[in-house]
Amino acid sequence: MDSDPPKQRFRHRQAEEQATEQQQTTGQQAGLAFESVEELLRYDNLQTVPPPAIAERLKISMEREPKPKRSWWHRLFGK
Amino acid sequence: MPAPVKCDDPVAAPEMATTPSAASTPGPWQALYEQHSRYVYYLALRTVGDPTLAEDITHDVFLKAYRHLDQFRGQAGLRTWLYRITINHCQNTQRAWQKRSIISTGDPQALDAVAANTDSPLRVLEIKELGERIQKTLEALPDEYRLLLLLVADENLSYQEVASLTEQSSDAVRGKLHRARRAFTLEFQKNS
Repeated sequence: MDSDPPKQRFRHRQAEEQATEQQQTTGQQAGLAFESVEELLRYDNLQTVPPPAIAERLKISMEREPKPKRSWWHRLFGK
Repeated sequence: MPAPVKCDDPVAAPEMATTPSAASTPGPWQALYEQHSRYVYYLALRTVGDPTLAEDITHDVFLKAYRHLDQFRGQAGLRTWLYRITINHCQNTQRAWQKRSIISTGDPQALDAVAANTDSPLRVLEIKELGERIQKTLEALPDEYRLLLLLVADENLSYQEVASLTEQSSDAVRGKLHRARRAFTLEFQKNS
């Protein structure tokens, strides 16, 4: 039985923090490992965000298009 | 020599089954763009290797899709149709853009002859420059290998769809994919 529980808790927390710190350092050193080329490319895809400017340009371009007789979703889905 | 991916009509698509549920989605065109733009942009970026060009291509692909929705028949998925337009657009852009020289070994057999350790995981220490390293690796591969890897990495595509997009049989895709993975791993290790 510990006569000084707060001190023990402190030590425990300190040990936990050290372990986390060590884990983080190891993680940084080890980097990432991908089991396959596809997995690597999927990761790369997730990191690659299309610039928002594309959507804005597209909106303007679509507004300039002649209005179709049927809305685009009817053309796509409403056959 | 890599088999070219050709299609006379860039927006031609096979017969479709309708999926009316998306019509009721709020802002359906935005939803469609959000669902597919990341993949279209990524394929364009890693194919042409230039963010500005990839941006233009993505814009043009969606605009073409909008203009030619009547031609979408839906036997293949919408993603496949968008990819078909993207592939054609990338090829036209690459042909037109003479200034850029794509470094390619162009010799799949030479790559096949070199043993690469494809069983071990691909380790990456420097995340910051990962995109650059992947781009460099892809550019060193024959065009066909690069395209196969990029398409197969999309889990939404079946081998059948990849085969259709690259105009070959599923068996041919599987065979080439094995060599493409090996070539990629070898180049990727070289670029570490």
